[in-house]
Parts: sequence; structure tokens; C-alpha cells
Amino acid sequence: MKRSRRVVLTMMGSGAIGAISMGFVERRDCGSGFLREVSRGLDGRPVVTCHGVAYGGFGRWPHQFHGHGHGHGHAHGGG
Amino acid sequence: MKRIACHERNDWRATAAATGFDFHTIDGERYWDERAFYAFTLDEIERRIEAPTSEIDAMCIELVGRAIDDEKYLRRLRLPEIFWPLIRDSWHRDEGSLYGRLDLSFDGRGPAKLLEYNADTPTSIFEAAVFQWTWLEQGIERHILRADADQFNSLHERLIEAWKKLANGSHLHLTGTMENAEDAGTLAYLEDTARQAGLETTLLDIEAIGWRDGGGFVDLDNREIELAFKLYPWEWMFHDAFAEKLATAPTRWIEPPWKAVLSNKGMLALLWEMFPDHPNLLPAFFEGDPNTERLGNSFVRKPLYSREGANIALIREGVTVAEQQGPYGAEGFIRQALAPLPNFSGQYPVLGSWLIDHTPCGLSIREDENPITGNTSRFLPHAIL
Repeated sequence: MKRSRRVVLTMMGSGAIGAISMGFVERRDCGSGFLREVSRGLDGRPVVTCHGVAYGGFGRWPHQFHGHGHGHGHAHGGG
Repeated sequence: MKRIACHERNDWRATAAATGFDFHTIDGERYWDERAFYAFTLDEIERRIEAPTSEIDAMCIELVGRAIDDEKYLRRLRLPEIFWPLIRDSWHRDEGSLYGRLDLSFDGRGPAKLLEYNADTPTSIFEAAVFQWTWLEQGIERHILRADADQFNSLHERLIEAWKKLANGSHLHLTGTMENAEDAGTLAYLEDTARQAGLETTLLDIEAIGWRDGGGFVDLDNREIELAFKLYPWEWMFHDAFAEKLATAPTRWIEPPWKAVLSNKGMLALLWEMFPDHPNLLPAFFEGDPNTERLGNSFVRKPLYSREGANIALIREGVTVAEQQGPYGAEGFIRQALAPLPNFSGQYPVLGSWLIDHTPCGLSIREDENPITGNTSRFLPHAIL
């Protein structure tokens, strides 16, 4: 609609060069079901605390349901 | 509206790779297909697609406003009662919507007809917003298209503006089923636009969302998920193990829970009930409603929840002429008047009319040899000539 419009990508494809992407966060846990939190103690030394965290509570339904997670279609079909 | 065969760019695959469009070919079959394009006049776009899209969105908002506090509507949509407070609260808090896509049947002559509303988890936004625009620009440069060709497309800039409004300074998590290339590509693109809006973002798989003792969804760095864009349908979230946590978690979701009212195909029957004979709607009724007899023996049968055409059947003169198998239908069905898709050179196109923050601002077209568009249909670009 606007011949002057510019569509610029900063993270995808070659646009990603020079861009800072956090990407996927990596698991940094301290045992199954626990998460590691590092803070500084009064003496300045790192203090590691593990919190109970449960994972996997989302994302299972499509696997149980029809074996894959795809589908937001177009048409007489989508959702 | 015309379908025009044209030369494809000989380097479009390299261009796709350069933009991160890595799902242009799926299972060895073309998904992106520029061997033809659809041409529209500006009048067709503005009066026949853009204006009805805006009007349908307004009707949808009115529908949600009426249904949200009325259990009769929520029961008819088979929305689980346990989630009614979540759905209602999100509406009454005026939680914003990023986007949605209306799927329309349009042949260039009669009014566009709403086939359905992809209100919750629409995909194909990247190819509509970016790669289609690149095709237009390069097509003009290479004389594949007229120099004055244009496109109904301000998706990219409107996404950036919408993020600014929605996030209000919050850190944004984007999540979905990352093993799916199309979903991962969609999330990567939306993250790109969110970054351009100035947001801090984190991308993570839906299965990597954690629930911290004491309450609250967190990412794998133990960061609280304050604002989350999810490319994962509400009806699936409602069935997952963390469903019971949704009500107490402080996370704000995009799309918001009230979109569950509109991503349910029962909304087509409710819209027709509220706005009978509207030129852009097709007659539709819940199965079991005596009014279904008005449709005669030709109609489309759709499950309340369905994706990629699954479990949808076309019945003409009492005979099932096309049907997609699938796992849906347990919650019930609607019947919608049969609106055969136009046939252009043996192809059936469906128009996807995009809304960003409730503003119509872009068009995508999928075509198929089959009158039920499924996940093997191809994306064709369009131009305004």
C-alpha cells in the first residue's frame, strides 16, 4: 500500500548478522525439577539456590491427541 | 480478481534463505509458489476485502461482548466451564489482541464470504508480510510486474506498532511448538518485529515453560513470564497439565483467553444468529438446531475445533464430495452453507485477510486443487494492478 515502505529484518536470515539474539534459553538447572539461582552473598561470594520448578505442563496435548503439534491452517480449516 | 501466470524469480530460493524463510518447501512440495499471482484492483481491495474485514471484526467484538457473561453462549461453544473466569477476566481487563486472520471466499464478483476466523494462532504471517513484499519489489525491478504494481500489505510496520502498545515495557516471551519449522519461523519473525518495537524478548519451546513452587510460570532461567505470546491454541492449553495453573498465574497472554470464543467454529453460527443475512456471512447453525434444515442437503460440516481442514466435510446434494480425516469432532459440529470456492485454472484460492490490532492491513492467498484447503495448499503472492 505504501511504495515507500521498508521491510527490514534484524534477527532473521542475513539480517541476523550483528543482531543480538537471545535465541532459545538453555536449561541451567541443578537437578531434575529444580532451578539454579545465583546471587551474591554478604561476603560477595556466589550463593546458589535451587528452586522447585515443574516443566512439561504445556505442549503435551497435541502429542496425545494426534501425534504432532502442527496446524493453524488456512481456509475451511484453520483455528 | 485474476490469476495471472508469470515467471518465477530464478533466485527466489536464495532470497528465501537470506531472509530466513526455510519452510518454503514442505515435504518436497512447493509451499511458496510464484509461478502465478492473484491480481486485484484497488477498488476490490478497499471495498470488497478491507471494508468487510473491518466490519466482520467489529461484529466479532460485539459477539464476544454478548457471549462472555452469558453462560448459554459459552455452553453452546462447549468452552470448559472451569475456564470461564479466565476468559471473562481477560475480556473485562481489556487484554489486547495482536493479530488474526479471516479466511474469505471471494471471486471478484459477489461479496466476500467469511469461511472462518483464525483468531488464536494464525500462521503464514511471515510470508505474507515479508517474502510476499520482497516478491513485489523484485518483480517490479525485473519487469515481472508493472512498475505501478502495489500490494495490500502494511503488516510489518503494524506489527511493530502493535507490540509497542501491547507490551507497555514488559519483557516478552514467545513460545510454541519449536519442532515445527513453520511455527518456529513464525515465532522468529514475530520476535524480530517485537525487538524492532524495542522489546526485550525470550523465545522458548512451550514444553520448556516451568511452574515455580509458590506460583508463577517461569522460563529456563527462572525468569517470571509476565507477558507471553503463544503460538499454541487455547483449546490445547485447556487440556494440558498446567491448565489448572492458568487462573492463578499472573502471566498475560497474547492472544488473550477471550480469543477462545472466536477461534471456535461455533462463532460462525452465533454470528449468523446475531447478524442474519449479513452479506459477508454464510448461514451457519449448530448441528442439532432445527434451522439446519434451511441449508437443505448441501452444506459444509465443521467441528467446533479443527485445524488444517481436519474433519471437515463438503456435502453436496446429500453426497459427501470431499472430506478430510482427522481427530476432531468430540465437542460437536456446525453446519455452514456451502460457498464453493472460485475456480481459477483448476485451483481453489482462499483469501486470508489479516488484522493487526483490529486494523485490516494485509492479504495472503492459499490455493489448492482441493476445495478444502489443507496443510498442503500453496501460498501465492498478490498484487494490486
